[in-house]
Amino acid sequence: MANTSGNAYGLTALCPIINGHTNDSNPLYKAAGESHDKEVRRILQALPLNQESPFANTDNTYLARLFILNDVFFQQGNDFKRDQLKSKYLCFNSNFHGELEPYLTSLWNNNENQVREIWQHCVAFESVSNANDFVRYIKSCQLTTTLFFNGSNDQPVAEQLKALYVKQMFSEFVLTQQGKSAAELKQAFKYFLQRVQLNDVKSPSWKPGQTEVAL
Amino acid sequence: MSNIAGKAYAMNVITPIPWWKAIWQHAAFKFVVRFPSNLKGLINLSLIHYARWTIIGRNSFPHLAPSQPKEDLHYSYMMFESNFNGSWDQYIDSFSFAIPEGLDLFWRFNIGYPKSIPLHGFYNYIRFNQIETDHFYNAYPCASSNDVKSATHLYDNLKDFTETSLELSDEDFEQAYNALLLDNQQYLGCMEAGPSLSLKEY
Amino acid sequence: MSYIDGISMKESKSLDLYDIQGNVCKGYGRYGFPKARYCFLSFQHTHSAREFLALLIEKITTAETWPVSESSDHHRIKPNSTLNLGFTYSGLKKLGLPERSLKGFPVDFTMGMKARSEILGDTGISAPEHWDDIWQQDNVHAWVAINARDQDAIEFEFNALGDLVTQHPDGVRIMSGIKGPNNTILPYQDASAVFENGLPTAKEHFGFTDGIGNPYFEGCGNSMSRLPGRGKLMRDGSWQPLATGEFVLGHVDEAQEYPPAPEPKLLSRNGTYMVYRKLHENVDTFNGYIDNLAKDFDGSRDLLMAKMSGRWPDNGAPLTLAATDEEKETLDAKMASIELRVSEGDKSALIERKELRRQWVDFTFNDDKSGSRCPVGAHIRRTNTRGSLETEHKAFHRPGALVDRRRLMRRGLPYGGIDEAKSDSAEQGIIFMSIGASIERQFEFVQQQWVNYSNDFKLGNDKDPLIGSHDGKLTDKHIIQGCPIKGAKPPFFCTQMPRFVETRGGDYFFIPSISALRMIAEGLIDPS
Ligand code: HEM
Repeated sequence: MANTSGNAYGLTALCPIINGHTNDSNPLYKAAGESHDKEVRRILQALPLNQESPFANTDNTYLARLFILNDVFFQQGNDFKRDQLKSKYLCFNSNFHGELEPYLTSLWNNNENQVREIWQHCVAFESVSNANDFVRYIKSCQLTTTLFFNGSNDQPVAEQLKALYVKQMFSEFVLTQQGKSAAELKQAFKYFLQRVQLNDVKSPSWKPGQTEVAL
Repeated sequence: MSNIAGKAYAMNVITPIPWWKAIWQHAAFKFVVRFPSNLKGLINLSLIHYARWTIIGRNSFPHLAPSQPKEDLHYSYMMFESNFNGSWDQYIDSFSFAIPEGLDLFWRFNIGYPKSIPLHGFYNYIRFNQIETDHFYNAYPCASSNDVKSATHLYDNLKDFTETSLELSDEDFEQAYNALLLDNQQYLGCMEAGPSLSLKEY
Repeated sequence: MSYIDGISMKESKSLDLYDIQGNVCKGYGRYGFPKARYCFLSFQHTHSAREFLALLIEKITTAETWPVSESSDHHRIKPNSTLNLGFTYSGLKKLGLPERSLKGFPVDFTMGMKARSEILGDTGISAPEHWDDIWQQDNVHAWVAINARDQDAIEFEFNALGDLVTQHPDGVRIMSGIKGPNNTILPYQDASAVFENGLPTAKEHFGFTDGIGNPYFEGCGNSMSRLPGRGKLMRDGSWQPLATGEFVLGHVDEAQEYPPAPEPKLLSRNGTYMVYRKLHENVDTFNGYIDNLAKDFDGSRDLLMAKMSGRWPDNGAPLTLAATDEEKETLDAKMASIELRVSEGDKSALIERKELRRQWVDFTFNDDKSGSRCPVGAHIRRTNTRGSLETEHKAFHRPGALVDRRRLMRRGLPYGGIDEAKSDSAEQGIIFMSIGASIERQFEFVQQQWVNYSNDFKLGNDKDPLIGSHDGKLTDKHIIQGCPIKGAKPPFFCTQMPRFVETRGGDYFFIPSISALRMIAEGLIDPS
């Protein structure tokens, strides 16, 4: 029904993971006895976090996650049938600003090695060798969102981060100005504007994934 | 694994739904969109950055190559993915307390859904069907959805203010500044890292 | 108005008040017991500890109802002192509860307060390593509280307790290690209402009037006149008693279920949990801060204090009733004239007084969304949000949906401030005790999310101005919202707030029913 909410895009992709062990010809893997899904999980769990996450390098990611759907759960009780998945799936769920193609292109272009490392364990990923292929691939795994609830807004991430930076700076500024004379206040405000550069969205600002409020 | 990134928690819940009821569930979501007053409670709670419900038809799990076995499922599935602020318990509690009817509408046709009240049936249902996240990224770990929204308002208002106020006399500026503070006093909370949500250390 | 007289609404639920400990249903201070002594026991041998317990049970005060006012026959009904008892998790273990029963206790309680310090904001100077010595060991097993009319009665009961302990030398001992006045280390914690002119007051050591707001629950045995403003807020603006299960285990709670509780039912039913915290008050720092800030503040010192707590310090009137110095003067004058008429025997003045007094408690923040009267971050607006988190009409199931499961039954008293001059280093503060069916969902949530955080108030990480874990940083602040209508007053900022209140110790206790106590003492608890 709706993958978008205004300019916010909600991507859900289920990428089937190859069944069985990783490359049987590779003795290293064999020794470890790793199946593809375990290998992916290990890679995902070892991905650097926050500012170092590949998504911090992907333009306009609000929040994104990767996880593995091993199977579906059996709902206990007499009346229910039992389902089992025949593949495990790498679930890629991202909420971002803008359109899908440029987003996925940015993900590929800025993090090609990590993307390859993660997705190499997925079915038919061997056919992917460039950004266009990657876009096509993810689209072939994409599910349509039924209901998208946007509890935030749909601005570019850079705008959101600048707004957060400005908010933090201004809410500190007001504390320093209480009781100052009109002339001092106006002077200080001008200086404040110079520092925060309201109209420069890029800088100074918070960095994507930044874990502390101070720059 | 980590379901937590800064002030946000990533929840994945996948639940079965008979394929014909999936059609009704689709209709329920259409109804929600058509009459957004159904979302009033969710909006007022204001604990979510982005959340999505995705119904996966029993025949629509991606199938990419002949080497991949085709799924053969009795049920369709509903995947719920939320990015919310607060801990798991806090979130589930607040939702169940504040908008029990809304939750029931969202999961109404899912197998085994116990209704959101009494609470522990609902707790167990969500926990049972929840899947852990392996990698979770949040563009602003120090900001809740409320922080982002108030920042956006404040930023806009501040830009407007600078356009009109810098040429004023000192006294007029002070007045305008005070009016600015008054208009934006609800946006002036200071941010820091959020309270600890993780139970890992306990 | 209809149920204030207690006629039109009947209490539908009756509890076995003889089975519930008295401190669960009563704030003893209100019943003429301004003095208290808390002491902590350590058990050694299970058998002997149980024998001790069996004898102590005889002394325990139950929740049976007493007349509130001092009637002529009150001595017949009301004891001279009360005694109540609770156990830590390790205490229950020591008493030999079966593993299966122990495993049924929730994680918050089994971990105890020290291990939860990160959640509670007990960091920096409030961190457990700075607590009184008694908390440095891990062998506090039980809490015993004596409340009394006067200090003599306290000493009498404490000596009796001491005798009982002495009779069980290998079963139990009273632990020392509690900091007392003038650098003493004592085997007990004394607490007392602050006295003025020889009479007990409701004041605490910063000068606020305390002990007004507290929840009202079904079956609590309190007069229905106390319901408005204390129960749960309904859609039509009326108040209903909160479900019993919010405060007593084994009864249905606000989520229409029995709160999770250990087995067997006889162990948990009519029992509950209690948080005990010794909260030190830095009175010099507080007074200095207020004095200093009052110079810049457009209003009296009292108003500034009120804007932090939400109530006027002198008489506890809520800011919803009087939000400026002028309004307060008018309110005081009105009250004075009513009092005068009451003293002249004017019957209608009695009713007027009752009606005015009702508004001390029976209020919401509905007409004050911006916080221009009671600041959004004020202590009482944080700790009991009433209907204020429902910012859009009918958005929630009930206006108070987000608070009804977060209510705290406070049972504290001030301590110290008697034997030595009040200063930061002198011993004074509040023994904060809070009762509820879930420590995590009620007390810990309020402490973490509402006291030391502000997301639900859309104020980022701002903290409670009185008790937040501040450190004097620029951003350790409290916003006193301005008024958009009246004279367009801009907001006022209290910044660089120091830590006025420090945690000095405490733990989580299980307050068993009388039946459970008996069975614990006799080793009869059996979850099979
Ligand atoms: C030294 C520490 C504290 C001081 C000086 C203090 C002071 C006050 C004052 C002056 C009031 C208003 C009087 C009243 O309504 O009874 C109040 C109310 C209250 N306080 Fe505290 N308090 C302290 C600690 C705490 C803590 C730790 C909590 C909980 C986490 C808490 C929760 C409450 C609640 C729930 C109310 C009643 C609000 C209502 O029902 O309207 N207080 N406190």
